[in-house]
Amino acid sequence: MTALTLRGLAARKMRTALTAIAVVLGVGLISGTYILTDTINRSFDSIFADANKNIDVAITPREAVKAQDNGSTPAFPAAVLAQVRRVPGVAEADGNVFDVANIYAKNGDKLGSHGAPNFVTSVQPGTLSPFSYVQGRAPRTAGEVALDRNAVDKGKYSLGDKVGVVGQQGKRLYTLVGVAKFGDQTSIAGATIAIMTLPEAQRVLGEAGRFDEIDVWAASGVSPEALVPRLRTALPASVTVRTGEAQARSMSKDIKQGFSFITTVLLIFAGVVLFVGAFMIFNTFSITVAQRMREFALLRTVGASRGQVLRSVVLEALLVGVVASLVGLLLGIVLAPGLKALFGLLGGDLPGEGTVLATRTIVVSLLIGTVLTVVSSLAPALRATRVPPIAALREGAVLPRGRARRLRTPLAFAGLAVGIGLIALGLFGGAGGGSAAGLLGAGAAVVFIAVALLSKHIVRPLASAVGVPIERLRGVTGRLARENVTRNPGRTAATAAALMIGMALVTFVTILAAGIKDSVASSVDKGLTGAFVVQNEDGFSPIPAATAGALRRVPGIATVVETRFANAKVRGIKGTGSVTGVDPRTLPSVYKVDWKKGSPATLRALGPAQAVASDKWAKDHDVKVGETLTVLTPSDRTIRLTVKGTYKDDAQLLSDLAVPSATIVRAFGTNDVAVALAGVSPGQNVNAVQARAKTALNDRFPSVEVLSKKQFTDDVAGQVNQLLSLFYVLLGLAVIVSLFGIVNTLALSIYERTRELGRVRAIGMSRRQVRSMVRYESVITALIGAVLGLVLGVLFAIAMTPPLADQGLKISIPVGTLVILLVLAAVAGVLAAIAPARRASRLDVLQALAYE
Amino acid sequence: MTEGPIVTANELTRRFGEGDAAVDALRGVSAAFPRGGYTAIMGPSGSGKSTLMHILAGLDKPTSGTVEVEGTEITGLDDKRLTELRRDKFGFIFQFFNLLPVLTAQENVTLPLRIAGRDVDEEWLEQLLSTVGLGDRRTHRPSELSGGQQQRVAVARALITRPAVVFADEPTGNLDSKASAEVLALLRRAADEFGQTVVMVTHDPAAASVADRIVVLTDGLIVHDGDAADTDAVHDLMKAVA
Repeated sequence: MTALTLRGLAARKMRTALTAIAVVLGVGLISGTYILTDTINRSFDSIFADANKNIDVAITPREAVKAQDNGSTPAFPAAVLAQVRRVPGVAEADGNVFDVANIYAKNGDKLGSHGAPNFVTSVQPGTLSPFSYVQGRAPRTAGEVALDRNAVDKGKYSLGDKVGVVGQQGKRLYTLVGVAKFGDQTSIAGATIAIMTLPEAQRVLGEAGRFDEIDVWAASGVSPEALVPRLRTALPASVTVRTGEAQARSMSKDIKQGFSFITTVLLIFAGVVLFVGAFMIFNTFSITVAQRMREFALLRTVGASRGQVLRSVVLEALLVGVVASLVGLLLGIVLAPGLKALFGLLGGDLPGEGTVLATRTIVVSLLIGTVLTVVSSLAPALRATRVPPIAALREGAVLPRGRARRLRTPLAFAGLAVGIGLIALGLFGGAGGGSAAGLLGAGAAVVFIAVALLSKHIVRPLASAVGVPIERLRGVTGRLARENVTRNPGRTAATAAALMIGMALVTFVTILAAGIKDSVASSVDKGLTGAFVVQNEDGFSPIPAATAGALRRVPGIATVVETRFANAKVRGIKGTGSVTGVDPRTLPSVYKVDWKKGSPATLRALGPAQAVASDKWAKDHDVKVGETLTVLTPSDRTIRLTVKGTYKDDAQLLSDLAVPSATIVRAFGTNDVAVALAGVSPGQNVNAVQARAKTALNDRFPSVEVLSKKQFTDDVAGQVNQLLSLFYVLLGLAVIVSLFGIVNTLALSIYERTRELGRVRAIGMSRRQVRSMVRYESVITALIGAVLGLVLGVLFAIAMTPPLADQGLKISIPVGTLVILLVLAAVAGVLAAIAPARRASRLDVLQALAYE
Repeated sequence: MTEGPIVTANELTRRFGEGDAAVDALRGVSAAFPRGGYTAIMGPSGSGKSTLMHILAGLDKPTSGTVEVEGTEITGLDDKRLTELRRDKFGFIFQFFNLLPVLTAQENVTLPLRIAGRDVDEEWLEQLLSTVGLGDRRTHRPSELSGGQQQRVAVARALITRPAVVFADEPTGNLDSKASAEVLALLRRAADEFGQTVVMVTHDPAAASVADRIVVLTDGLIVHDGDAADTDAVHDLMKAVA
């Protein structure tokens, strides 16, 4: 029996390969994801191990509150260094700063492709320095700089050149005196680093009198482990003391967490591809089992038991699964750099050379691919066992209907209800982010399966709806195509279902993205009353602290409001709250706040120990106006803030809590200005003012852009579109799998209809007509899937809207895009039909008639 | 082993469909098939001959009546017991050869043994292959064999398990006259040399004339049950009952 299965697989190579493609792609995506993230993680590990190699003990600010995604923990006072040096056993200690800045190439472009970050750091004494100078030397004066090897090459610099660096005070030119290597690396994960003298680095980063880290070298005979507790006792609680090794691990862990979303996103898409693949495997095995009825019946007459028939089909699936998973695993190795490049386009230059193939990757890939294939083949395998032996003797025997078939429709309806229930639970059940997303995903998967089962009943009307126009146009070939599609509705439904899933998800993200773009546009339109948004040209890094001052001197600019963002922990409230610092007196002139309780006067009167809160946040955490909150800040200070009013803020400029700028700078240690809003004096020509502002900022602040409202909305839309294109690429894989499904179904039905095709050819149908018949069959199937997917996608998007409405999301259906998607589905149908149509048209008429 | 008939049919009836559309394929058929006998079941289309064979072989269940195989009643057996019965007691030859295209001739022959998980009796296999004249074609796939050769493979496959009965369903229905003669001669030899019991359904008088005994069915009833004669006599017989 085993030999028979093997021979059978070998004899049906094409079909086997087409079935396997789904598994290969899905598993490839899984293994690619793991390989990519493992490789990235290994690079980070080695980078940070290098950075801390020479350090016995590292002292860093204590992270009292988890920092914002792109924010850094506030530096600590430089006075700590003197305390460190006094601790016995410390041979050498040195403070340094390290933070984001903007570094420019010789031609004036910012260094670091795809938004890879630029950092400025300070020179450290040789023993503690993670850098070695491969050319020149370390900077000695405020006017000197050293760059990493990579930056020198990319920036086309040579020693003695002037390098432009934009810090908190704006651009300044430095003489390049050295080229540095970081451990063994020419760059740190693609980041660009400029090394300056300590006072200059502190000035550039706005951290005068402060350090980001103090590195300690222990005296001989003193172990780092012994030194750590001594330092802890001697130093304030606001700093963290770790051995160099522990520091490397901690830094690596932090940054890995930052990148972990990549793993999640990619694995979700791999799951989608595999889910689509499951439909395809199920369908292929169903068709094959139906076609091999005679063979199973024969096996049964010569004495095979039901168990043996079941095992032979399952064994076939097992073999396909194992081989496809193995190929998928290998594909992952090829795919990993591609995935890396894909994220690179989005603005993350990821590090990682070589390939890390962990045991976990191999085990998970093989297991998932194999189990999925076997499980998807179980139902068809069970059907195969129901083939009666007598089918071997009778012409045209049909498979008996099992009990499960009668239960199918009620079960599908029950599934639909369960799926909708899960989605509702995910949306309104109040579960946390991760488990809510899990519920939504599971609910959607169940709905997909239920709809796939039910869609069997609507294949006929749908085929009529999309087929009748084709029939009008193409006459008899169109008619036959439509009949062929509806001949076996279950098969068509399962084939179309695969495409439906991809299509539904594409529709869903398209609508959601359109909604986000629209709501951003409308909230910016509503809220922003000032003329300009001033931000870093990358859209997320802070702008130099001196920008606002320079902007205020531009004729025609009336007000400039800086915004700063931080996180905080409020006593009695779980999780981290977001805080915005603004100037309460000038904000109303550039930004309209939708007050729930309070008025612009509330804001104008806001004192340093007072705050206003978002209405949603206040309601969610039962915070009343007039209440005084105890707030822990990132710089490890506890302050009290009295809530004076509440607002609804769709643009989310004001976060959960808004406090005066002075408070966020002083108590939160947040110096970085995220964005600034600028208002124009009455009677001024806005365009002229914008031009003047640009000119005024251009030389000193090349990293800053001054955007009109329209430009700003377009900028956000552009970022949403980038994310959308990433999703399209990943969902495209699922769609490709479903197209292979169509190819497979067509090929199998044509094989089944050999005789019939011979007959229509014999009575005068041309090869061309046969081809177009198959083509229309494919197009109709594709369109059925596309229409179902479109409807489901729209429904999912509508379901998702109410919970997001709080954040200002409005449903907005991009009809044009959806129509394009339908057209693309039809085109995909045509493409899927190419090979099967060719095969059908090339059938030899005589042979086809004599078939069997 | 018990003496007496290997397969016995008692008052078999078989009704297909219900109500007005009901068709009685068998209307009370009793017959016994002794060991070593070569029986041809004949009859015009729709006479119920195929239905009778299906029921005898446990592939179909009678509406009433019983079938005994070596003294055991099989009409009430479950799928598992029926499977064992087919595996151990019966061999089948079909009109459309029904060979597995992916297996070689020899592998097709030994398939029933492999399914049963039994060892191949090499001597018996060689004897069978040389008897059916396929010794030199054993590695060929069915698609590389002529119709007659394929059916000879099927005969060898039916005999490999030394079954109690070989059921042949129109074994010559798809063959030219030369190939038909070869296959019939083979079945004759099986009965003569190996003492093989053969029950063959056919509507070909030439085929039937090879048998020891001819049972003729018309409209679900046995109308003739007697010794075989030559082809012309069978022709006359068929004319008489038609």
